[in-house]
Amino acid sequence: MRRRWSIPIVVALWLIAEGVALTQPPGARAQNAGVARAQARVTKNPLEGNRDAIRNGGAMFRTRCAGCHGPDARGYVGPDLTGLWALGVSDDRIFETVREGVPGTDMPAADPSRVPDRDIWQVLAYVRTVAASTPPLALTGNADNGARIFQSTCRTCHMVNGSGGQLGPDLSRIGSGRPRAALTKKIRAPSDNIRPGYEPVTLVLSDGQRIRAVKKNEDEFSIQVIDMRQRVQGYVKANLTEVANDKQSVMPAYGPDQLSNGDLDDVVSYLATLRGPDSGRR
Amino acid sequence: MGTTTIRILRVAAVIAAMGSLVVTAQQAEAPQVSFQDLRDGLKNPTRWLTYGGDYGSQRHSPLTQITPQNVQRLTPQWAFQTETLGKFEATPVVLDGVIYITGPEDTGWALDARTGRQIWRYHRDLPNGIIACCGRVNRGFAAMGDRLFKTTLDAHVVAISMKSGAILWDSVMENFRNGYSGTPAPLAFKDKVVAGMAGAEYGVRGFVDAYDIQTGKRAWRFYTTAGPGDPGYRTWQGTDAKAWEHGGGSTWTTGSYDPEQNLIFWGTGNAGPDYNGAEREGDNLYTASIVALDGDTGQMRWHYQFTPHDVWDWDSTQVPVLADVTIGGQPRKVVIFANRNGFFYVLDRVTGKLIYGKPFIQTSWAKEIRADGRPMLLPGSLPTEEGARVCPDQSGGTNWMSPSFDPALGLLFVTARDSCGTFYSWQDEYKPGEGFRGGAVTRLNEVQHAALRAIDVATGERRWEFPYTAQSWAGVLSTASGLLFAGSSGNLMAFDARSGKNLWHYQTGSALYAGATTYMLDGRQYVLMPSGTTLTAFALPEAAPAEGR
Repeated sequence: MRRRWSIPIVVALWLIAEGVALTQPPGARAQNAGVARAQARVTKNPLEGNRDAIRNGGAMFRTRCAGCHGPDARGYVGPDLTGLWALGVSDDRIFETVREGVPGTDMPAADPSRVPDRDIWQVLAYVRTVAASTPPLALTGNADNGARIFQSTCRTCHMVNGSGGQLGPDLSRIGSGRPRAALTKKIRAPSDNIRPGYEPVTLVLSDGQRIRAVKKNEDEFSIQVIDMRQRVQGYVKANLTEVANDKQSVMPAYGPDQLSNGDLDDVVSYLATLRGPDSGRR
Repeated sequence: MGTTTIRILRVAAVIAAMGSLVVTAQQAEAPQVSFQDLRDGLKNPTRWLTYGGDYGSQRHSPLTQITPQNVQRLTPQWAFQTETLGKFEATPVVLDGVIYITGPEDTGWALDARTGRQIWRYHRDLPNGIIACCGRVNRGFAAMGDRLFKTTLDAHVVAISMKSGAILWDSVMENFRNGYSGTPAPLAFKDKVVAGMAGAEYGVRGFVDAYDIQTGKRAWRFYTTAGPGDPGYRTWQGTDAKAWEHGGGSTWTTGSYDPEQNLIFWGTGNAGPDYNGAEREGDNLYTASIVALDGDTGQMRWHYQFTPHDVWDWDSTQVPVLADVTIGGQPRKVVIFANRNGFFYVLDRVTGKLIYGKPFIQTSWAKEIRADGRPMLLPGSLPTEEGARVCPDQSGGTNWMSPSFDPALGLLFVTARDSCGTFYSWQDEYKPGEGFRGGAVTRLNEVQHAALRAIDVATGERRWEFPYTAQSWAGVLSTASGLLFAGSSGNLMAFDARSGKNLWHYQTGSALYAGATTYMLDGRQYVLMPSGTTLTAFALPEAAPAEGR
C-alpha cells in the first residue's frame, strides 16, 4: 500500500530543502547576522504590491533566479518557489534565505555590496505575484520501492553517499534542490538538457575504434573524458581522427516501457529523500 | 687677464670637468628611459618600454630569431612565481636586462631577465573596502627616466624607483569609496604620465588624468562625461538632470600616443547605469568613444563615439592601434579599433573621421555603420524588463586583450568571440560606491564561438581565423619573422601570421589574461608569458657546446 504523505511532512521536507535557514527560529539568523541588522529587521515585504517593484523584480528574477528556479518560478534545477507563501513561510525568512544562501547547495548568498536589500524585496514582490494560493502537491510514490529500483538500475552510473558509479552526477543531494517535475523530465528525456561536465562525446581513434564517453575537459590540442567503462582518460587530438560532440546523453531515456509511471513516481520519491550524507537513507 | 685669474679659471674648468664626470657616472648607473627611447618603440629590441610595445600599440616586434620554421623548438627557460592569486593581466616593461611587472592585489616585481630571479618586490597595503567590479587586477607599469608608474586599486597613481621599488610620489586620483579604482598601465610621454581609471558599474564620472612625472602633481584632467559648458552636455537628457555626474565612461585600458600630433588616443567605457538609459537619454558623450586629447593640455581635439547611448555595457576600452596604411590607393594615418560592440573601425587619426566600420563578429544590434559614422540601430535591440536578445553579449566581440598589427602584412590580429545574450533592464538608484547597473545579462549558449582572427586593415575583410575551444582573454604579439603568439584555454600558441596555421603550443596550466611580449638578451630572443601565478620565459635551446670545449 502506498503511504499518503501529509501536508506537514511536505512542509517539513520543503523546509529542509531550503536548508537550515528556514528551520531555525525566525530571529536566530538575524542575531547571527548582527544586532544592528536584527533591530532594523523588516518582517513583511515593504514593496509587496508595488507596481514598479514588481516590474523591476521580474527583470531581476529573470536574470538572477530563473536559471535555477525556472522562468515561471515553478522550479527547474532549484526548488519551486510558488508554494512558499501557501506553506506559510514568512517574507523575512525568504529574504534571509536569499541573503544568506543555502550552504551545501547551488543557492549562493547575495553579497550586500552587490545586491542591496531593495533588490531582494523587489524580487520577492514579483515572485509573490506568480505564487500559488495552495501548497504544492505531495509526493505519492513509495520511496522504499524507488530505492530498490535505483539500486538495480541507476547506481551503476550514479553515486549516492559514496557508493555507486561516476559516469553521471553524484545524486547524494539531489532531493534538496530539484523539484519533482525536473527529476521526472531528467529520467524520461535526459538529452533535453545536458549538464555541463557531462556532455557526451565520441572519439574515433586512428585504428577506427570508437570510444563513447563523457567530456570532462577539452582544449585545442587534447580532450579528457570518462568512458563508458568509467575509465578516466586523456587523448591528444592529433592522434584522433574525429572528436564528435553528441546530442544524445550517455544516460538512456527511460520511457514508460522501461519504467512505469508508478515506478517512476517511486524513484522520484526516493530521490526526494536524498539530501546529503546525513539524510539517513543509503 | 692676470695669472691669478687664469689659474682660477683653470681650477674652475677642472672642477667643472670632474663634476660632469661624476654626473656621467651617475647617468651610466641609472637605467634611464628617455622620451626619445619611448618614441623609438621596439627599435631597440632588448627593450619593451610601454604597454603596447610602442606608442602606436602595434605589439609588433622586429625580432626574427624565432621563426615559423624553428618555433617548434621553443622551450621554457625559467619561471617566476608571483605567489599572488588573481588574474595576471600585466604587460611587463623590459629594460637593460631587467623585467618590471605588476600583479593582482597591487603587487609588482623587478626580475633578472636572464634568470627570472627577483631583484625587488613592491606591495601596497590596500585599505578595506576596495570596489573593483571585475577582479583586483593591474595591467602594468609605465616607464620614464629612472621611474616606473602605476595605478592602484585604491585609485591613486604612484611613481616607483626602478632601483628599489620605493615609492617616490603618491597622488590621489579619486576617493575609492565612491567606486573608483585604478587598473590600467599608465602612458608616459615628455614630462607627463597619463592614467586611466575603472568604476563605471558604480556610477563614477570617468576621466583621463595626466600627472607631472617629477612631482606627481596633476597637470590636467579630461572628463569623459560632458558637463555644463561642454558641447556634449546636451547629449545627457533624461529623467535625471545629474545623470552626467554618475554617467560612467571609465578609462581602464591604456591608450596610444602620436608624438607628431602630440595627441593621446584613449578609449572610454560604458555609460552608466549600464543597461537602463531612461535617466540619460541622448548619445551620452563621451562614453563608449575614442577621444583624441592634446598631450600638453588634455583639451579634446576630436572624438568618435562607437556606441551612442550605450545600454549594453560595451566599453570602448580596447587598445587603439595607430598605423600608416594605404586604403583605396591613398596613404592614410589611421587608428584601428576592434570594438567590443562587434564592429571593426578604421578612423583618420588626424580628423577623427570614420574611414569604415564593418562587423568582425556576428552582430544583431546595428545593420551597419553609416558613412556619417553613426550605427544604424536594428529594432528590438534595447534591453527591457522581459529581456532582449542581442549579439554580442556584454563581454563583447573582443575586450581589453591587446590586438597586434603587422605593418608588412597589413593585418590586425584580434582575439574575437561570437556570442549573444538576453539583456534585461530595470530601474536603479544611484548611491555613491554602490552597484549601478540598471539591469543584467544572461548569456545564451546557442552561439558561442571564439577565435583568433586576422583582419585586412585595407578592406576590413577577414583573412583567416583559428577557432578556439573556449572564450579567450589572451592578447596577441606578432614578430617580423611572420610569427604570431596568442592563446586560449591556458595554451600559449604560435601561428603563421600569413595563414593562421598553428605551429606550436605550450600548456601553461592557467587561463591567459595577458599577451606575450618579446625581447633580445645575450643574443637570444625571449618570449614572456604571464599565466596564473607564473611568468614564464621561453627561448630556443642554446646551441650545444662544441666538442672538446
